Amino acid sequence: MTQPTIGELLLQNGVSRRAFLKYCTAMATLMALPAGMGRALAAQAAAARRLAVVYLSFQECTGCAESLLRAYSPSIENLLFNVISLDYQHTLMAAAGHQAEGALAQTMKENFGQYLVIVDGAIPAADGGVYGTSGGKSYLDTMREVSKGAAAIISLGTCAAFGGIPMAKPNPTGAVPVSDVISDKPIVNVSGCPPVPEVITGTLFQFVAMGKLPELDALGRPKTFFGNTIHDRCYRRPFYDEGKFAKTFDDEGARNGWCLYELGCKGPTTYNACATVKWNGGTSWPVESGHGCIGCSEPNFWDKGSFYAPLSSAAFGRAGNVSPRDAARLVGAAAVVGGAIGLGAAAVSRQRQTRLAGAPLDPQKKED
Amino acid sequence: MDLLSFARGPALQFALVVFFIGVAWRIVGITLLRTGRLLSEPRTSLGKALFGGFVTMGSRSWPHPEFVGRTGAGEALGYSYHIGLFIVVLAFGPHIQTWAGFLGFDWPALPSGVITIISVITFALLLAVLFRRLTHRVLRLLSNFDDYFSWFITTLVIVTGLLATAHFGARYETLLGLHVLSFDVLLLWFPFGKLMHAFYIMPSRAINGYLLARKGAPS
Amino acid sequence: MNPSAPAAFKADHQTQMPPEARAQRALSSFAREFGALTALRMESCIHCGMCADACHFYIATEDPKYTPIWKVEPFKQAYKRESGPFAPLYRLFGLKKEVTTAELEQWQELLFDSCNLCGRCSLICPMGIDVATLIEQARHAMFDAGLAPTELHDAARRQELFGEPWESKEPYLKKLAELGRAHQVAIPVDLPQADVLLLVSGVEIDRYPAQVAALAKVMAHLGVKATFRSDALFAENMAYFTGARDWQRNISEYVIREAVKVGAKTVIVPECGHAYTALRWEAAELHGAKLPFAVQHITEFLADALKAGTLRLRKAEGGSVTFHDPCQLVRRGGVMDAPRALMKALDLDLRELKNKQGFSYCCAGGGGVLMIERAKELRYRAVAPKLHEIDATGAQQLLTSCSGCRASFEDAADHFHWNKKPASLLELVANHLA
Repeated sequence: MTQPTIGELLLQNGVSRRAFLKYCTAMATLMALPAGMGRALAAQAAAARRLAVVYLSFQECTGCAESLLRAYSPSIENLLFNVISLDYQHTLMAAAGHQAEGALAQTMKENFGQYLVIVDGAIPAADGGVYGTSGGKSYLDTMREVSKGAAAIISLGTCAAFGGIPMAKPNPTGAVPVSDVISDKPIVNVSGCPPVPEVITGTLFQFVAMGKLPELDALGRPKTFFGNTIHDRCYRRPFYDEGKFAKTFDDEGARNGWCLYELGCKGPTTYNACATVKWNGGTSWPVESGHGCIGCSEPNFWDKGSFYAPLSSAAFGRAGNVSPRDAARLVGAAAVVGGAIGLGAAAVSRQRQTRLAGAPLDPQKKED
Repeated sequence: MDLLSFARGPALQFALVVFFIGVAWRIVGITLLRTGRLLSEPRTSLGKALFGGFVTMGSRSWPHPEFVGRTGAGEALGYSYHIGLFIVVLAFGPHIQTWAGFLGFDWPALPSGVITIISVITFALLLAVLFRRLTHRVLRLLSNFDDYFSWFITTLVIVTGLLATAHFGARYETLLGLHVLSFDVLLLWFPFGKLMHAFYIMPSRAINGYLLARKGAPS
Repeated sequence: MNPSAPAAFKADHQTQMPPEARAQRALSSFAREFGALTALRMESCIHCGMCADACHFYIATEDPKYTPIWKVEPFKQAYKRESGPFAPLYRLFGLKKEVTTAELEQWQELLFDSCNLCGRCSLICPMGIDVATLIEQARHAMFDAGLAPTELHDAARRQELFGEPWESKEPYLKKLAELGRAHQVAIPVDLPQADVLLLVSGVEIDRYPAQVAALAKVMAHLGVKATFRSDALFAENMAYFTGARDWQRNISEYVIREAVKVGAKTVIVPECGHAYTALRWEAAELHGAKLPFAVQHITEFLADALKAGTLRLRKAEGGSVTFHDPCQLVRRGGVMDAPRALMKALDLDLRELKNKQGFSYCCAGGGGVLMIERAKELRYRAVAPKLHEIDATGAQQLLTSCSGCRASFEDAADHFHWNKKPASLLELVANHLA
């Protein structure tokens, strides 16, 4: 049975063409596409069939799914559920057990080579993958099987994209990102913990409407949303430039909205759209609320030292960041070792001197 | 592990350990060598001689008036990039936080734009100093690997810092990683080259100033 | 071979030994002697090149090889390779070449011909390195390697063996007696007991006998119980120039022995520069104990007498004068105020050099350079800054208090047809006793 086009579906659901155009224009603007693309996007989207999407949930907290669901303006964002056919999703689908697995098998068969796979959560790979199973199958096997007919894979969230929290030390389950398991399909890393809702929908919409994946950065993330650091778009940047930093969470600097670098903000090395798109439909974002960026869209963000230690602090030692006591111990121990070696060197040198002083230079000398 | 985490993590730790071992080794290795006894009758009292040594620690920072004509410009050039380096290292916010991690306390920062200007000037001065070393007949004769490498690694730290700030040439975290890594290399090199003059300068001036003051001679 | 290229420097040699052995002996000697202070000095050099700008040899020739710290370069390398804290690493990784005899032979010129040990470099170094003392120490190693200039070696040997730095057809005692007669002044010799032991400079006896007479005259005038001793007549210590440490000690022991014998409370160094350095600041260290007497330059002794009121001077007539501070007295000795006190008492129209109070140029004859024949041309070039310095004062007369400086200036005056003849401060004092 042929699926209706998206345009037909929208009309059926009472969404006017005008409203749809507005949405497409907003999306185009968000993704900094050239002017006029809004129309092109609308035309393409209207003519496209609904995309079959399979959503796999592995070592995840469901935060990424929740973020997607919290995408604002429900009446518009819900459109997405008219644009895609979400055929398999553990949290949202009504079916369970064999029926659920049956739905997955059917959509894979019917849309083989064309369905989109969204992955949420890391994949435990240690000990043959036993630390994550569903329906008797390991996540590892599920990932490999389902990706066979995928057109593309979206690794949703830092766990799927880079390993995230399950991969943090000591990584007892051997958690790995999707890209470590699948190497023969195009993968888009939409990272973040969770990703900004509009970043998810924007990426999806582009794929649906334009039929191709967005331009990706060196870590496989859509450049549109991950092309700039938080630091370079942060509204508190002038304070950083002026050298005005908050020193504690409730001091005068903090209350005046000064830069949070000293309180551990990882903005300079974090690529995401939080500073511009913000959260909750543009309400706020961590820095605006007074807490430094924790770098959640970057690989290994959990293991890069304390969230509250500045980016320029030394990042070694038991606690992950050096404390004055650690530093004193290191210096002391090294100085003792160095001093001991120096003592040895001096002793050798002095001994040599004594030996040379003992031996007369040349008893013949006066007789020349 | 990415470059930045490596540079500010294990690489920095290793570099600091080598730095402190090397510095202690070198200083102790010299200090424990033989010292001769001074037996000639001093001209001045011990207090005056010690004071003379103390004063010399500062007075040698600028040539005596009789020498300024020939050496003032060269010395000023050398000093000014030192001053630039000190300001950048000690008054830039993120640098201060690095210190604070080790020392447990911090101090106010200068505006980053000011630091950038001073860094650029310092870099220009470093280039001037290299040019002088390459063209001055005395310096050409004296200079060896130590002189050029110490210049290189110091300049590399400042250049990578500027590149990182300007986001020029690579991703920011890569540039920042290179900046920290070049500092690690500087730490590794420090005990083995002429950068040790940072530790020698005051004792050397003080001791030789004392010996001269003891004789009643000018220092 | 290009005829206009400068001839390669040919070093003097002493003591027969295989060539490689010389470098070995130099290094052993250096290793024997140095300690923490030398090490600190060698470590502190940052190759800034400022010492060149203090050295008249560099200033006059613009040849970078005369840079003071470059003069000790082989020893700096040797220190790092053999004795410094990282010596094993240097050797293990082959980071420094061994010093060769050929290198040291080339360095003979730098260490002896082109350095007066004047100490000006030690004043300019921003790291506070006493470069002049390093050069002195390097000379010790060169001597032990048999690589000292012949004239210096021979003079040192003669003085160490026979007590006399210069060859003389007539015995020196006879010359002393003669000059006493000529100047009608009693020259006390070999008194069994005296408060003051007097010394004389060999240069003085032969070239400036009036200085010796002046010394005796002033002592007599002050009623000081002073004597010369025939077993320790000379103030000079040729071994100091040559770098012959053991001989330097033996030579100063002559003086110490005689001073003790006569029970002298003070040993007076006559108008000579390096004699002061050798006796005042190095003899005790070589002796191994504090000296049981004071050592004073004659100007110091007289300045003290002036202060005590026992010496009074008349005004000296004549035009304007300028004073040349002998380097060994002022920079390396600390004798700055004494000559000025005397000149003030003489009510002289003193025009100080622009580079004053220990910063003036060397006469270019010190450190033994005056004695090295092959260094003559170089010395003439190096004395030029000094002559300009003196001329710039506009003074009519040049005064000094060292016979070595006096000889150097006279020789330069001959060469350059310079219009000033150096005069002795002591003679001036002796001629204006009130």
